[in-house]
Amino acid sequence: MSDGQIVVSGLTKRYKNLLAVDGLSFTVQPGRVTGFLGPNGAGKTTTLRMLLNLVTPTAGTATIGGRRYADLADPMRTVGAVLEASSAHRGRTGRNHLRVLCAAAGLPTHRADDVLELVGLTPAAKRKFKGYSLGMRQRLGIAAAMLGDPRVLMLDEPANGLDPEGIRWMRGFLQSLAQQGRTVLVSSHLLSEMELLADDVVIIAAGKLIRQGPVGEVLASMTTTAHVRVRTPQVDALTAALSGLPGAGVTARPDGTLLVTGVEAPAIGKAALAGGVELHELTPERPDLEGVFLELTAGKAGIR
Amino acid sequence: MRLVKAEVVKLLTTNTWWLFALGAFVTWMATFALNATVAHFTMGASTPEGASAEDAANLAVVGDQIYQAANLYTSGQLFGLLFVVLLGIVMVTSEFYHQTVTSTFLTTPHRTAVISAKLIVAGFAGLLFWVVTTGLNIPATMIFLQAENLPTHLGDADVLRAILLNGLAYVLWGIFGVGIGVLIRSQVAATVTAVLAYLLGTALIGVLFTLLAGWLDQDWIEKIQYGLPSVASSLMVAGRNLPNQPDYWVGAVVLIVWAVVTGTIGTLITRKRDIS
Ligand SMILES: Nc1ncnc2c1ncn2[C@@H]1O[C@H](COP(=O)(O)OP(=O)(O)OP(=O)(O)O)[C@@H](O)[C@H]1O
Ligand SMILES: [Mg+2]
Repeated sequence: MSDGQIVVSGLTKRYKNLLAVDGLSFTVQPGRVTGFLGPNGAGKTTTLRMLLNLVTPTAGTATIGGRRYADLADPMRTVGAVLEASSAHRGRTGRNHLRVLCAAAGLPTHRADDVLELVGLTPAAKRKFKGYSLGMRQRLGIAAAMLGDPRVLMLDEPANGLDPEGIRWMRGFLQSLAQQGRTVLVSSHLLSEMELLADDVVIIAAGKLIRQGPVGEVLASMTTTAHVRVRTPQVDALTAALSGLPGAGVTARPDGTLLVTGVEAPAIGKAALAGGVELHELTPERPDLEGVFLELTAGKAGIR
Repeated sequence: MRLVKAEVVKLLTTNTWWLFALGAFVTWMATFALNATVAHFTMGASTPEGASAEDAANLAVVGDQIYQAANLYTSGQLFGLLFVVLLGIVMVTSEFYHQTVTSTFLTTPHRTAVISAKLIVAGFAGLLFWVVTTGLNIPATMIFLQAENLPTHLGDADVLRAILLNGLAYVLWGIFGVGIGVLIRSQVAATVTAVLAYLLGTALIGVLFTLLAGWLDQDWIEKIQYGLPSVASSLMVAGRNLPNQPDYWVGAVVLIVWAVVTGTIGTLITRKRDIS
């Protein structure tokens, strides 16, 4: 299971006047789940498609285990990809769809039944694709990706259309694959889900890399300024008491609490005591992935 | 070889192939009945009485018989070829229509190999259509001709040539269909183009070019029509050479050129194209 490293280097894709992907470089390590995050139109899908030789880069390279996808001796046995939910012939059964892929990849036909079992789709194996629900289509896509028992997996928004049970199943499934030493690259919008799932993250916006690294490190890199949630009936008095502290910022939140930044909780408590302000809550906040993501991509987000 | 197998599995796991085969069979029955009726009323109807011109007239009758026999042995061609070209088109355009092209090219990043496999399978499917139609035509025609008290002509070189060239036409139209499909990815656009070019091409273009040539008084204009696939195809399978027409092999060459050119250009475009 070695050699499953994904290396993207200076990858660029230009559509007419739009730089969908702009000099993007990052690496993805085997044995870990890597979340590939970015706002709508950031270039995630385009990047994955360039990695898979479906879209030709304008510049730069993307390799898997040191080789371009087109140069892989046996792509199905090396890389499994789940791109969009709806890619099978409507009139073909799920099982026959997989058998076509087996034939093309030179895999034994029984692999089709193996992977259907793996994703829990055996009962629907002989039904036509047009009768599949969104979640079933997504599972069929995962089944197709697993046909060749690949050491690298790439999934574009795999949680789309899955119910909570399905999402939990997917999380366990991807994590077990990573534990087996495989490389797992997952793009997603669901940040809370990513926080549970991913070991590493690659965050992009407007086609450019914003940050990459282990989830913990990326979060920690944002905790340079303290965030403290404060609840008080005397908002104005507290604001006045805190104005004496250098670097302190106070923001009112819609839920009635205050977000205090730039000072630690003990300093706030001390200032409140000195100012005779009554406090109902004083909680240091660890920024979550969603907060970090929004902060990092602020101003760069938006449909281009 | 894997890819050829995969294309065969693709064909056999959807309804297209047997729907088209059924269509070809029904239209074969209709055209055979029509051809037989025409043959019944024309063959032997002009049996000459005069002894003086006996030899010449005999020759004409035999010639006409061979022409009719060749026509009967190749019955169903007009619509059979249409179904074969549509099958070739659908083999390509359905991949884009159903977005299976993504998984196809993921499995096989070498796109030229994928298209080549499609060309082979489409040509082979055309061959199969021909084998079945010919398997129906030979006994049916023999029974009909014997019922008319006429020789079967099956051993005649001209008739054999017509039957074999008919087979070549089926193969080439299958390949040509794949070529059209890769050039025009949209299922609807490709199908409509092919049907119009084929049916109208056969019926109208000939008249149009003849009129144009007469009007401009330029013979060569009339010759251009043989460059069109449908006209070339009917030229190729005619049972005999007609006056004022190029030889049958010109039709074969023209059709091969069409199949090769569309297939090559389509493949080159597909190799570069972004799949998104
Ligand atoms: N074939 C194409 N032609 C022109 N522009 C394109 C094409 N494909 C993508 N784009 C543009 O490139 C940009 C990046 O698109 P991409 O699909 O990679 O984003 P994404 O990060 O996957 O977004 P989402 O989260 O919405 O799926 C978008 O602005 C999009 O409009
Ligand atoms: Mg996307």
